[in-house]
Amino acid sequence: MSESLIDVAAPEGAAPRPDDEPDQRRRPGARSALRRGKGLAGVLLIGVVVALGLLAPLLAPYGPTEQIPGANLVGPSGAHWLGTDEVNRDVYSRTLYGIRTDLVVVFLAVPIGAVIGILVGLVSSWWTFTDVIAQRVFDLVLAFPTLILAIALTAFVGPGLRTVFFVIIAVELPVFGRLTRTSVRTVREMPYVEAAHVVGAGSWWQLRRHVLPNSWEPLLVQLAVSMSVAVFIEGAMSFLGLGVRPPHPSLGSLIRDGVRNMYDAPFFAVGPLALVVALVLGLLLVSQALAEARRS
Amino acid sequence: MRRERRPHLLRGLALTLAGLLVVAVVSACSSAVGEANGGGSASGPSEGGVLRVGAGSDLIPASVFTNSSDVANTLVGTVYESLVDYPTDSLEPQPRLATSWQQSDDGLSLTLQLRDDVTFHSGRDLTSEDVEFSIRTWADPAWTVQLQRTAAAITGFDTSDPHAITLTFAHPLSNVFDLLDMLPIIDSESIDQLREGTAYVGTGPFVFESWTPSSKVVLTRNEDYWGEQPLLDGVEIDVVTDPQAQASQLRSGQLDVALGLTDRDRESFEKDDAYSVTEFKGAENAIYLGADLANPDLREVKLRQAIAYALDRQRIVDEVFRGAGTPANLPWPESSPAYDARANQTYAYDAAKAEELVSQLGDQPTLPLAYPAGNGNFEAVAQVVQANLEAVGIETKLEPQEYSQFIKQLIGGTFGGLWILEHSYAQYTPSTLTVSAYPFNADKNASHFSSPAYQKHADGAWQRDSGTDRGAVRIYRQLNQDLLDNLFLIEIAVTPPRVATTAKVHDIGLSKRNELDLGRAYLAD
Repeated sequence: MSESLIDVAAPEGAAPRPDDEPDQRRRPGARSALRRGKGLAGVLLIGVVVALGLLAPLLAPYGPTEQIPGANLVGPSGAHWLGTDEVNRDVYSRTLYGIRTDLVVVFLAVPIGAVIGILVGLVSSWWTFTDVIAQRVFDLVLAFPTLILAIALTAFVGPGLRTVFFVIIAVELPVFGRLTRTSVRTVREMPYVEAAHVVGAGSWWQLRRHVLPNSWEPLLVQLAVSMSVAVFIEGAMSFLGLGVRPPHPSLGSLIRDGVRNMYDAPFFAVGPLALVVALVLGLLLVSQALAEARRS
Repeated sequence: MRRERRPHLLRGLALTLAGLLVVAVVSACSSAVGEANGGGSASGPSEGGVLRVGAGSDLIPASVFTNSSDVANTLVGTVYESLVDYPTDSLEPQPRLATSWQQSDDGLSLTLQLRDDVTFHSGRDLTSEDVEFSIRTWADPAWTVQLQRTAAAITGFDTSDPHAITLTFAHPLSNVFDLLDMLPIIDSESIDQLREGTAYVGTGPFVFESWTPSSKVVLTRNEDYWGEQPLLDGVEIDVVTDPQAQASQLRSGQLDVALGLTDRDRESFEKDDAYSVTEFKGAENAIYLGADLANPDLREVKLRQAIAYALDRQRIVDEVFRGAGTPANLPWPESSPAYDARANQTYAYDAAKAEELVSQLGDQPTLPLAYPAGNGNFEAVAQVVQANLEAVGIETKLEPQEYSQFIKQLIGGTFGGLWILEHSYAQYTPSTLTVSAYPFNADKNASHFSSPAYQKHADGAWQRDSGTDRGAVRIYRQLNQDLLDNLFLIEIAVTPPRVATTAKVHDIGLSKRNELDLGRAYLAD
C-alpha cells in the first residue's frame, strides 16, 4: 500500500519505480552532452591521455626508472623523443608512466573523497546534530589553502603518493559534503519527498530512493571539476617535493625536473606540461558540458 | 697643384683631429661611467655596494657553530675572527687575532700573544679572557660543536696578561691549531643574545645588524676594524632554499653570489661570460653514503662491502658533479697527510663482486636511503646510488628529508638506515675528522659504530704534538684501514667547493673553514 502511494506521489523520473534505475529521464541529457561540442572534446582529450597512460608498457621504449648507460642529458632524438634526464632516464618513457600516477590520483582519490563527502553530506543534512559537527569540521578544513594543508599533512605523514591521496580526500570531502547538503536540503522540500515521509517511509529510504538520485547531477559536474583540481594538486605537491617520491614519475614531479633544467633543456617539461594541460582541460570541458546540459 | 692639395691636407688634418677628439671624448665618457659605477676592475678595487649572497639553508641560533648551514658559515666567517688562519693550501697557521705563539716541548701547553688593538663590535677591547670564554663555550656539549672534544681537552687557561694566554692541555693535541683556526672569538657579554639569534658580536670586518628568520641576515662594514677596511658597505645573506630559485635570482640580478647551486647550474653559469664560477681548493667536501649500524640489516660488513663495490663513483662525478671532483674510498683530499692513492682504490667499481657478496648473504630487505630534500645534487646522487644497488640485488627506498631535520638526525644519530650527505674537515689535520666530525667521531658517531681499534688509532693520531710527522702518517694508515675494513661510511667522491657569482663580483675568497672571505671583495661592472 505504502509503495504504491509513494509511486503515485513521486514525480515521474524523480521517484522511479523500485525496480527501475533512478532518474531515467535525465540520463540521455548527460550522455548526449558528452557526444557533442565541448563534452566530446573533453572526452577525447581525457581519452587520449588515459590511453597513453594505460598503454605505457607498450609505448614506452624504456622503464620509468631505467638508467641508460651513457645517455646523460641527451637532447630530443629518434632514440629519445623527449631527451634524457640528469640520471640518464628516458623522459618520454617517464612521462607515459607518470600519467598512470596521475590517473590513480584522479580516478581513485577524488571518488573516495566524493563518496565520503556525499555520505557525510547526506547524514548531516538530515539530522541537526550531525549537521552542526560536520559543518564546523568542513569550515576547519576549508579554512586552510590546499597547499598549506598539504604541507601540514606532509609534516605528519611525510612526502609521498599516500600524502597526495590524503590531501585530495581532505580537500574534496567538504566540497562534496557541502554540495550534497545543499542539494538535499532543496530536494527534501519537494512534494514527492514530503509525500513519502507522510506515508511513513524511513529516512534512509527517502535519502536513497528520492533525495540522492535527484541531487546527482550537480555532484557529477563537481566530480569532473574536482578531478581537474586533483591533477593540479598532485602537480603542485610533487613540484614542491611533497608528492610522489623519486625515482617514481608523476606529471608534477616531471614538470619539477623540467623546471630544474629549464635554461639548458627546456624540452624536458614540454611533454608532462602538455599532458597536464590536456587532462585538466578535458576534465573542465566535460564538467562544463555536464553543467550546461543540466541547466538546459 | 699646391692650391688643389692644400684643401685635401687640411681636410685630412681636420678629420684626424676630429677622430682623436671623438676617441678622447668616448674614453673620457667611459671613464666617467666607470667611476659612476664604482670603477672598473681594470682600474682596481672600488669601495661601496652591498653584496647579496644566496644561501641554501637558514641560521639556527643553537647550531650557529656547527658548520652546518650556509647562512651560519657566512655569518661566522664575516662577523667573527679566529686566533689563527690556515692558508687554503697548507696546515701552517698564520697570525690573525694571535700575533705569535710558542708551544712547550712536551706539547702540553701553548702560549699565544694577542693583538692589542682589537675591539669587539660593541666597542669593548678583546682580551685573553674572551679567548678563554670562547674555548669554554665550544667545550660545552650544549652547543654540539664538532670540535667539542678538542676544546674540552684544553684544561688550563692563564689569562693574567690581557694580551696573552697560555693554554694547558690534558694531553698533546695534534689538531690544536685546527681548533684555533675554526674557533670564532665571541663576546661573553652578548652570549644570551647569540643564543636567541638577536646579536652576533665579533671582531670581524662586518657587523651583524639583523636576522629575519627564513629571510635574510644583514651585515654592515665594521668602520673600526683593526685590519684593512673592507671595501663593501655591507653584505645581505638571503635565505633561498631552492637551488633553482637561487639560480633564477642570480640570473635576474637579485643575487650577486649563489652558494647553493647544483653543479648542473654551475656548469651552465660557467659557460656564460656574465657570470663567474670559482673553484676553491683546500676546503674540499666529500660526499658519502652513511650506514647506521643500529639497523640490524646493515650490521653485516659483507653487505656494506657489496654497497662499496656497487657504487659507480666515476659516473657520479662525471654526470652529477659535472667532472668537478675525484672518486674516493677514503675521505681525504690529495693535500692531506692521510691521503693514500692506493688505499683510495680499494673499492673500485665492481658490480660483479658486489653481486657475489650479496648472493652470499641471501635475500636482503629494503633499506631506507635518506638524503636532504630539495637539493638536485643529492637527489641525483641518491637515484644513481639506488640504481647501482638495485643492479646488484640491494633494494632501497628513497626518503627525502628537510635539511634542518636531516642535520638533527646526523647529530642525534637517528637515521636508521643509509643516508647521503657531504662532510668537510678532511682538509684539516686528519685527527680532527676522526675525533670531531659527527659521522666519523670515534667516540660517538651517526653510524653507531664503535671499535676499540678505531678508537685507539683516532686517539693515537689526536694525542700527539705533531699531526704531520712520520709517526702521525703511520697512524693514518691504520685509520684508513679501519675505515676501509668497517665501512660505516662509504665515501663516494671528494669535491672542491665552487661558488657562482655575477661578473661584477671580484676577489671573494673561501677559507679553509669553508666560509666566504669577503674582506677584500668588491663590486665593479
